[in-house]
This record gives sequence, structure tokens and C-alpha cells, in this order.
Amino acid sequence: MAKFKIPIRVWILLFALVLAFLAINPTPYAEGIQIKSVESGVATENGLAIGQIITHINGEPIDSFSEYNEIINSLQNKEQTITLNTGKGDYEYNITNDIGFVLNENLTVTYTDVGTPVQVGDTILGINEHEFTNLSSFNNKVNEFLPKKVYKITTNKGEIAFLARSFPELRVGEAAKSNIKKGLDLEGGTRVLLKPISENTISQSEIADLIKVLSNRLNIYGLSDLKIREAKDWSGERFVLIEIAGASQEEVRDLIAQQGKFEAKIGEEIVFEGGKKDIPFVCRNDGSCSGVSSCSPTTDGYYCIFEFVIHLSPEAAQRHANITNKLGVIVSENEKEILSENLDFYLDDQQVDSLNIGADLKGSETTSIAISGPGSAPNRDGAIENALNNMDKLQTVLITGSLPFDLEIVKLDSISPLLGQSFLKNSIIVGLIALLGVACVIYIRYRSIKIILPMMFTILSEIILILGFAALINWNLDVAAIAGILAAIGTGVDHQIVIIDETIKGNSSQYSNWKQKLKGAFFIIFVAYATTVAAMLPLWNAGAGLIRGFAVTTIVGVTIGVFLTRPAFAAIAERLFKE
Amino acid sequence: MNFNEIYNKHYKKLFIIPILLVILAFLFIGNHYNKTGDFINKDVSLKGGVTATISTSQIVPDLESFLQSNFPESDLSVRTLSEFGTSEQIGILIEITNIDDKILQSLLEEKLGFDLNQDNFSLEIVGSSLGNSFYKQMLVAILLAFLFMALVVLITFRTFIPSIAVVFAAFSDIIITIAILDLIGLKLSTAGIAALLMLIGYSIDTDVLLTTKVLKGKNIGSVTERLINGAKTGLTMTITTLVAVTIGYIVTTSSILKEMFLIIIIGLLVDIISTYCMNAGLLVWYARRKNGKV
Repeated sequence: MAKFKIPIRVWILLFALVLAFLAINPTPYAEGIQIKSVESGVATENGLAIGQIITHINGEPIDSFSEYNEIINSLQNKEQTITLNTGKGDYEYNITNDIGFVLNENLTVTYTDVGTPVQVGDTILGINEHEFTNLSSFNNKVNEFLPKKVYKITTNKGEIAFLARSFPELRVGEAAKSNIKKGLDLEGGTRVLLKPISENTISQSEIADLIKVLSNRLNIYGLSDLKIREAKDWSGERFVLIEIAGASQEEVRDLIAQQGKFEAKIGEEIVFEGGKKDIPFVCRNDGSCSGVSSCSPTTDGYYCIFEFVIHLSPEAAQRHANITNKLGVIVSENEKEILSENLDFYLDDQQVDSLNIGADLKGSETTSIAISGPGSAPNRDGAIENALNNMDKLQTVLITGSLPFDLEIVKLDSISPLLGQSFLKNSIIVGLIALLGVACVIYIRYRSIKIILPMMFTILSEIILILGFAALINWNLDVAAIAGILAAIGTGVDHQIVIIDETIKGNSSQYSNWKQKLKGAFFIIFVAYATTVAAMLPLWNAGAGLIRGFAVTTIVGVTIGVFLTRPAFAAIAERLFKE
Repeated sequence: MNFNEIYNKHYKKLFIIPILLVILAFLFIGNHYNKTGDFINKDVSLKGGVTATISTSQIVPDLESFLQSNFPESDLSVRTLSEFGTSEQIGILIEITNIDDKILQSLLEEKLGFDLNQDNFSLEIVGSSLGNSFYKQMLVAILLAFLFMALVVLITFRTFIPSIAVVFAAFSDIIITIAILDLIGLKLSTAGIAALLMLIGYSIDTDVLLTTKVLKGKNIGSVTERLINGAKTGLTMTITTLVAVTIGYIVTTSSILKEMFLIIIIGLLVDIISTYCMNAGLLVWYARRKNGKV
């Protein structure tokens, strides 16, 4: 028997396979859980970031989601009861992570949280009969009750340690087992196609602005695992396509369906609007100046009010002074002196709240204002959560300002993660059984294991190469891509049959020379390849590019097949069958 | 009577089958267009509407009539999804037009008796104007794909009649397939139209093979021998794909893939007729005529 030498084309294929493998970087035993989002604060300042894989918390190993939850629960602070001594008397209440109010230099309360019984304006004398003389002795006492603890988080990027009163808020998921990005169909999440509504045609730069505000808004809301891009269709209509893993459709819809035009008016005059220009600072994720301020039972449940502080720019403060100066002073129902007109808040032209303005604010350049709004639900916890959600959205809108356009959701897909997972499993089973079926047909036709083995090897290589390419260009694997892979593999099998018939079973061929036989086979393959690519190209932009994934994967698949795997298959066939 | 004889003597009769089928298909599609205003049955992704998937093992036999009575104006269909190999229901798929998805969701929750959330509920909503423009664009995509494909074939073979034979075979494949899809009442989505495009690719493969074998293998055997040789290869290709796709159709739980697979199955079966009657017949005729002249 002749010496078995591996042909150069097979070397090329093997080399490509190694590259694909490196690109996919499969780590089936990846441990730990991955950070999907993290609130900014001490932890992020110390280097904690999205994408890192947490392996240990305070030395305890974390392998699964349940272990993570267990540790987080054990790290929760215990509730404790304190007695607050104030100028108006003693209050007893429970605290866990936060004292629940903020003092100024004179030990006067300037802000209170949910459930804190003291009110703005009260003077704090002591805690648990321990009296204070100044702010720093108060802070020391608070630190005694709510000690800052050391938290140690070990991630794949190293270990960080920091001091904090409580564990930072994280959103996590299981660590990725390879570099292949699973698309929405497989991982669950929400995809929306938005159409800006405008009388005029919308320019490229306007769309770019829109995308900037939108992604900013979603990011600030905490939806960071998102893809956002412009989509255009043949009629020149422009869309924005957003895909967010792990987000529910309600959240996404609320955040983008509203233009988010926020206005604070006294009478018909605008005092300030949402966005950086008028509101340089919005208190957020800080219990000392944002939270639920009160809750009360109603006939059909609970009604809570959230409140957070914003700072106004000097210009907006000046406007406030000018407008309030013109107002008269009246006495309210609860016998307080207030101004004759309220400060009304409008979101997208709907009034969301209306505040009395204290008479002492008449003509003053107020730079700090508390914004409030409601939340309600059948039970108290639900009402608080609802209020906090509403607050989160309003804060987001105030920070990012309004969108340059009103948006219409023209298409929305929300895929549950469970369905996605079962779809992936099912696709793999489909692939394997179909492969088996192909092997059977081939065996029945050719009666030779020697043909089937290189064929299966070629098919598997093609799948790995397509996946490797997808990992390399960050292409998301979704239903469209899986259909594309199947199409490419189907074409691949067809072409291998052409190669076999033209060469091994080549008695029918007009050529006696192996090389020429192969040339004949590849002529057919190249023409078929060209027509497939030609048929797929129009899908690039059709339907706002939503099935581009199918076209791209098919084209990539058949291209890899024609230039890498089929030549290698031919070379292997030559080794095995050429007498 | 063997194939050799058929292709030798009766190839002209072979044309009759596909030509007749194409005419029938045209009549049928025309009739469908008259009745419904469209060439195909469109599903909600092309018409606008809501597709809701609920993962539940709970069996609700009267769900369809329940929804229909609540939304008499809507076009709707309810299907159950089951895992391959078991008859156990894993989910319910609802397609419905003219509806607000929030109302649908709350009605379903009421009917099913549990909350629908991120874990058990998937939702796809398509606005009707968008669905319409998708549909138009997909039709244009098919036309363009056809044009590009024809161009590639023409450049490759540089002879008019064989090229036209290939294009016509692919064309009759698509037309007859669409007529059958209308006949069985399958509703097409964007994915279904993508499957039709895939079909062009698969259909062309065998046509190109046959044409190459017959036209380029001049010094081996007779025209019909070469043709039958090519047909052997072509049929193996088609049958392997058919087997793989049929398995896929049976095993998959994805409604999108099921639709694509079904279209390809029908298309491949039609392709056998259009390739080995139409295209093969035309090739024999062309080769004979050319040989006769030379």
C-alpha cells in the first residue's frame, strides 16, 4: 500500500477548523455566573463590570445561579429597631441597609425615605438616647448601627474588595459556555422594530441622534445587554431595530413607546423640561434623595408616592423665580400658605402630578426640587414596587430628555427564555437525526462506509466553520441563522454527491484523468454556488433586513463549503479511491 | 419500457406533464387571487397581527371557539405544539389578526387560569402596514432572485435554449409549489418566502447538473445515456435532501422551521417532475436538433 500522505487541501481545512475552534472557544465546563448589569457605585469604581464572571463571593465558590442567590441572601443585613429622638418626640422604626433620612449641618432632616417616620424639617437630637452635637458624631453613630462591611468578589478578571453597607445590586446569568452569541430566539428577550413618525423624510443624522437617545435611555434604565441598529427597507423607509436579551416586552415598550417629553409648568408657562439642559442632576439609586415617600391604603389596594430630588440649572431656577413672583398667595385646605397656582408635571402632554408651592418659595431661585408620582397595586409591596418602577422610568426620561421623534412599534417579538432553550435542544436533535437519514440514503446508494465517513466529517467541519465564523464576527445565532446553516449543509451534501458521482463512480464521465473529472464536478458546483448566492442576495434588505441572518448564514455556509470543505472532501476521496 | 426509451422516443410527450401542471397552477393561483385578492395565503407576519406562544401542558379544547367568539372580526388559528417522540403537549400557538395584544393576553390569562409572563409566554406582533410592505418586498425579492439566477445561468452556458430550459424548470417548480400551497391552505410567513428562495437554489442544482452532463460530455455515450447518468446523480441529491428535510419536518418543534421544511418538501417533489420531464426533455430536443444541424 502506498504511503498515506495528507493532501494540502485537507491541511488547509484542518487549519481552518483549528481557527474556528479558537474563535468559538468552547468552555463547556465554564463555572460561575456572569454579570449582566451592575449599578454604578463603589463596586464599579473598584473594577466590577458587565461581562465578568463571578467565581467567588467572600471566598465562597459560586457555580450556579442558586448558589449565587443563597450567598446574596446570607449577605443581606438584618433588620434592626432603633429609636430616634427628635425635637418633636421619639420615633421607633426598623432599618436594614439605610438609616432612611438625610441631615444637614444643623441636624435638620432634609429628605426621608419610605417608612421613615420623621419628616423633613424635624431636628434629630439622638439615636437610642445617645445624643449628638454635630453631623460627624451622628455619622459615627450611624456607622455603628449600619457598619460598612468588606465585600470580596472574585471574578475571572481578578479579585476586588471594597467597603459598603450592603452588597451591590447585580443582574446575573449563567456564564457563557462559548463565544457563540445566542440570538433572541434561543436566549429569550425582546426585539422591537420602531418606525419614527415624522411628516418630513428622516435623515441619516436624525436617526443617529434617535439611536443615541434610545440606547442612552435603555442603558440608564439598566438594560445593557442590547443591540440597536438602523434598518432601512427598499422603499427608503428608516427603522430602528432593538434587540434586548432578558428584557420583558412591557419594560421595553414602556421605555420606548413614550417620547418622554417632560414638562414642568406653572399655569401655561414652562418652568423646566427633561434633559441635561434644564436638569443637570437627577438623584437616582441613592436612598438618601430618591425613594418611596409614603404609602396609604385605598378602597381597592394601596397607593404609594415616590419622590426624588432633581437639581435645576441656573436658567431654569431663574424662570422659576420670575414665574412664581407673579403669583398670589392663598391659604390651602390644610391651612398652609401656598401660591395661587400649582407646579404641574406633564409627561407626553399627560399630567402626571401637581404640587402645591409653598408661599416661602415665591420669587425664589429654587435649584433643588423634589419630583413625585404615584404607584398602586392591590397590596402594599406591589404598590411600592410599582411606584419604584414608575420612578425609574421617569428618572430615565428626565436624564435622557425626550426622543427627537414619536415612535411607533411596528413589530415586536418577545421570546420566553424557556422556549428558546427548548428550541436550541430541538434543533440539535433535528440536525443529528437528519444527518443519520442522509447517511442511510448515501449507504443505500453507494454501499460503502468509506464514502460515508469523509462525508460526515465534511458536514461536521462545515457546521464548525460556520459557527466559528459567526463567533468571529459576533453574529447572533437565531432561528434564521439555523435555517441558513441547514440550507448550506443541504447544498453541501448535494455537492458531495456530485463529486462522488463524477470521480469515484466516474466511469460515466467523459474524462479518464482524475483531475479533469474533478474539474467537471467543480464546474457544476460553482454554477450552483453562484445561483444560490444570487438567489439569497435580494434578502439582504428585504423586510427591513430582518431575515438578513438567513441570507448571510446561507451565503457564508456555501462559500465555506465551496472553497474549503468541498476541495478537502475531493482530496480525501482521491486518496481513498484513486487506484 | 425503460428510461432510455422514454427519453429517446417520447421526450416530447414528457413536456406535456409540466406544461399542463404550470397552466393548471396559473389558473388555480389566478382563481385564488380573484377570491382572496392575493397569490398566497399570508400569515400574520405578512398580514399584520399577533402570534402568541404559551408553554403549557394544559389542554384547552375550546380555546379556538372561545377566542373566535370574543373576536368575531379576527382571523385566527390555534395549534398545539408537542415534543418530538411524545404526544405530550408542550405549548399552544395562537395566530390572530385585528387585535390588541394586551386584551388578548388578559383574556388568555382568564381562560387558562394562570399568569402569562416572560417565562411561559412569547409574543410576536406585526403592524399591518409593515406586514404589507414586507410582503411586497418579499415578492420583489423573489423576482430579483429569479433574475439574478437567470443571469448566472445565461452567463455560464452562453446558449439560449438550454439556459431558458433551466430557468423555466425553476420557474415552473416555484409556480406549481405555490399552487399546491394555496390548495392545502398553508399560510406563508416571511420565512416561508425565504424557503421559496431556497427552493430556487435546490431546483437549479439538478438542472445545472443535467445541462452540464448533456452539453459538455460530448464524447461519451449517447445524449440519453448521459442524461440518465446525470439523472442518477440528481435524484440521489434530491432524495437525500428530501429525507433530511422530511425528518426535520417531523422532528422540529419550531413552527417557522416546520413551515420552511414543508415548502421545501413540496418544492422538491415538484422539482423532480419539472427537472426530469421539462428540463430533460428540452435538453434532449436541443441536443438532437443541434446534432442534426451539424
